[in-house]
Amino acid sequence: MKNREHRDLFPGALEMMILRTLKRQPLHGYALAQYIKQSSNDLLQIEEGSLYPALQRLLKEELVKAEWGVSSTNRRVRIYKLTAAGTRHLQREVSRFEKMLDGITRVLAPGEL
Amino acid sequence: MSWIKQLFSRRRLYGELSEEIHVHLEEKIEELVADGMSRREATAAARRQFGNVSVTEEEGREVWQWPSLESFVADVRFAARTLRKSPIFTAIAVLTLALGIGANTAIFSLVNGILLVPLPYSHADKLVSITGSYPQGALVAMRQQVHSMDVAGYAEGHELNLTGQGEPVRLSGTFVSAELFSILGANPELGRVFEPGEDIPGQDAYVILSHAVWQQRFAGDPSIIGRSIAVEGMGRQVVGVMPADFHFPSTKTQIWIPLHNDPRSTSAYWAGDFMPVIGRLHPDATMPQAQTEIRVFQSRVGALFPWAMPASWNADVSVISLQNGMVADVRVRLLLLLAAVGLVLLIACTNVANLSLARAATREREVAIRAAMGAGRKRIVRQLLTESVLLASIGAALGLLLAFEALTLLKSLLPADTPRLMDVHMDWRVLAFTAGLAILTGLIVGVAPALQISRGALNSSLKSGGRGEAVSVSQRLRSALVVGEIGLAVLLVIAAGLMIRSFWALSHVNPGFRADHILTARITPNQSFCSDSVRCLSFYRSLLDQVQSFPGVSGAAIVNTLPLGGRVTKRSLNIEDHVDPSGETAPLFWLNIVTSDYFRVMDIPVLAGRGFTNADISGAPVAVITAETARRYWPNQNALGKHIRLLDDTDWRTIVGVISDVRAYDLQSNTPKWIQGTAYVPYNAAATLEDKRVPSEMTIAIRTAAHESQIAALLRERVAALNHEVPVSEVQTMNAVVSQAVSTPASTTSLFVAFAAVALLLGIIGIYGVLSFLVAQRTREIGLRIALGAQRRDVLILILKEGAKFSLAGISVGLIGAFLVTRWMASELYGVGPLDPVTYIGVAVVMAVVTMLACYIPTRRAMGVDPMVALRYE
Repeated sequence: MKNREHRDLFPGALEMMILRTLKRQPLHGYALAQYIKQSSNDLLQIEEGSLYPALQRLLKEELVKAEWGVSSTNRRVRIYKLTAAGTRHLQREVSRFEKMLDGITRVLAPGEL
Repeated sequence: MSWIKQLFSRRRLYGELSEEIHVHLEEKIEELVADGMSRREATAAARRQFGNVSVTEEEGREVWQWPSLESFVADVRFAARTLRKSPIFTAIAVLTLALGIGANTAIFSLVNGILLVPLPYSHADKLVSITGSYPQGALVAMRQQVHSMDVAGYAEGHELNLTGQGEPVRLSGTFVSAELFSILGANPELGRVFEPGEDIPGQDAYVILSHAVWQQRFAGDPSIIGRSIAVEGMGRQVVGVMPADFHFPSTKTQIWIPLHNDPRSTSAYWAGDFMPVIGRLHPDATMPQAQTEIRVFQSRVGALFPWAMPASWNADVSVISLQNGMVADVRVRLLLLLAAVGLVLLIACTNVANLSLARAATREREVAIRAAMGAGRKRIVRQLLTESVLLASIGAALGLLLAFEALTLLKSLLPADTPRLMDVHMDWRVLAFTAGLAILTGLIVGVAPALQISRGALNSSLKSGGRGEAVSVSQRLRSALVVGEIGLAVLLVIAAGLMIRSFWALSHVNPGFRADHILTARITPNQSFCSDSVRCLSFYRSLLDQVQSFPGVSGAAIVNTLPLGGRVTKRSLNIEDHVDPSGETAPLFWLNIVTSDYFRVMDIPVLAGRGFTNADISGAPVAVITAETARRYWPNQNALGKHIRLLDDTDWRTIVGVISDVRAYDLQSNTPKWIQGTAYVPYNAAATLEDKRVPSEMTIAIRTAAHESQIAALLRERVAALNHEVPVSEVQTMNAVVSQAVSTPASTTSLFVAFAAVALLLGIIGIYGVLSFLVAQRTREIGLRIALGAQRRDVLILILKEGAKFSLAGISVGLIGAFLVTRWMASELYGVGPLDPVTYIGVAVVMAVVTMLACYIPTRRAMGVDPMVALRYE
């Protein structure tokens, strides 16, 4: 419960990471979770479950689409792909994020202390 | 993407999500097992890392929903299931709330229809009422001098004979300024309304009919417009018929007749009817402007009178909205009723909240399970509140039905002259009020138990099964509620007690006459018939002679105004050698014109001197006054032999008798405030009213042991034989006249008593419920005490002490509350103060006894505790 309410991500961060990962390659849920965990060096504490509501939101907004396929371990899984709208959305979000990060970095930069 | 497609594909979507999550967990477990974990450890770890599955699924699903609405619907369905599972609790709670909400809805319907709904006239916000009262001359001057509004006056309650249409009838007419209808913006159903100038002598022979009269007397014949009918023996042309829903100034009015604004008849013009005045503000004028103008007008108008007007006349005149003006008399009473019925609802809420708290103890487990499944506190509170609001809504729906019935009853119970009673309906405002009340009630009822349960659930969790801190907090809350509830009940019962004492005092007032075995009837020849006073007097005299010879009649008399009959005949008088401190030279008296047997027939004691005799008809001019009048004008002197004179008369009348006071105006007072004294004069040619004529509207009072209907039939027969154009109306016993005089306090009192009874009942249920719960909770303790040697008597004292604590605390709260708020009732009370100690002490004692009786069953149960059973409990 607590993690969900006070997660250490800003709103929309999880969605952005999902889109970024899917841009590289289409993945199914479990693989997506593992990938995000590993590539963040386990720094981000994400409940794996929270991935699924996020995926549902992206599906609804048609930023990703899903097709049933077969995973490497031979299971029937739903594989998520980025849509064209998703690609555009990701670009926008990334540039917005970079601007924000830039601003935060400037404020936090040493020298003025 | 179409939302319809979404709606249909949702079930599939949900299934896919579950499958996906399932596959995710499996994959994880397999991986962990491959890493060397046992399958059981792996399952636990996978679940731990994944988080709460059901919450995830729910959140995933919510993405596709209209979240608030759908979870609300789910809440409601769940609540309905829960309520169905405990039918007894649900039934009691719903019925209690239905009673409370229904009563509130009914009373609010009255408040709404009478005080809130705008008057049914166009641009009603521009209509005002001028709080003074003015004679015709002043009204004509006002029309000329006031520019911020158009004004019109009306004089209600004139009775007029309608003849030439079958049996003669007496109609209630209102004299109006010609502009009255156009100021109200009222349109006729047929024909036209009066036009300006149609209240000037010579061009005022018109009449407008009410829908009812048109239907009853003229069979709804549309050709009535333009025809002449005989009103009071005078031909008047019917110009219009008003629609059925037009009632101005009240439902009593059957016909409207233009004022006869004739400056040459000085007394009628300047001292006839003192009329209420309404106005319509001009579009750019405001109420304060009109107020200023009226004040200026008032300061000048006195000079126009042919005599000096007292400075106190209309001194506090002001301009208020017409709506406020019309309902001023009932406002306080209605708001008192609304407050009382609001208290009843509050008590009902407390009771249901208490019931829910008792149930809360048993529900903690259920809620704890839901909390463990991942429901947040907010979510649980919302669910519980949904439940109580659902409960209240069912109660409200039932209450609405109750209110519908109650309103019909109320409308018949309230006095018929209650203003705007016809406008009272259950409209959308009432429905909105009820809906709002349902939600509010639900929240009030639910909030304490909801917080209680959710706190208990999250703290004590699944373990103890319900003892410890949470329960003691709950117990304290319940105790506070029951104390408050008893307090409110005490407050209401005291209010009702005061009303009863007041009503008792009022009904046992000595009215100054004996009402038993008196039959009364209005006998009213046309005014034109009585303009010949000899003809008029001889008609009444021969009627009286015949009536006195009826079988079983021991006496009969004729009087112009019956005591408590709702009519006042005023007349200015000169009083010999009297200089009033206010400079008033001709005080206004209530003039009673009576035949010689009147005091004997009515059984009014003559305190000094004598009553009238037949010799007074043609003898020296005489008068009789009341004791109060004698005290006022001749304090510490003998009034007998002193003289008074009707204004404009030449002869002084000698006072030959003083009678005891008669409650003539209402049961609270002998005369209205603006009347300075009461005089009686014999009915002869010298007994004239302000218009210099002998009165033609007389009432006969017959003292008889015979059956009233028999006498009434004889009376009608004789009147018709004497003059077939004279109607006989208002045939009723004197007792009926008296009971009408208390009909308003009677209806208010009975409503208060009903509310107090409900409050008392709910209070008893409340204290009973709390004590029962207490006993059930302490069964073990009581068993232990008995096992250790406590006597039954000790147990009895233990439980009664608990009950007494609630009872005394509640009674104290109620007494303090009553002490603070009953002063608002003072205007409705007679013969008893709002702090009447008898009522307060009486109610306190009764409440103490009643609440202790409510403790009886729980106490018996406690005394019957079998220690063996109790200790094995759980």
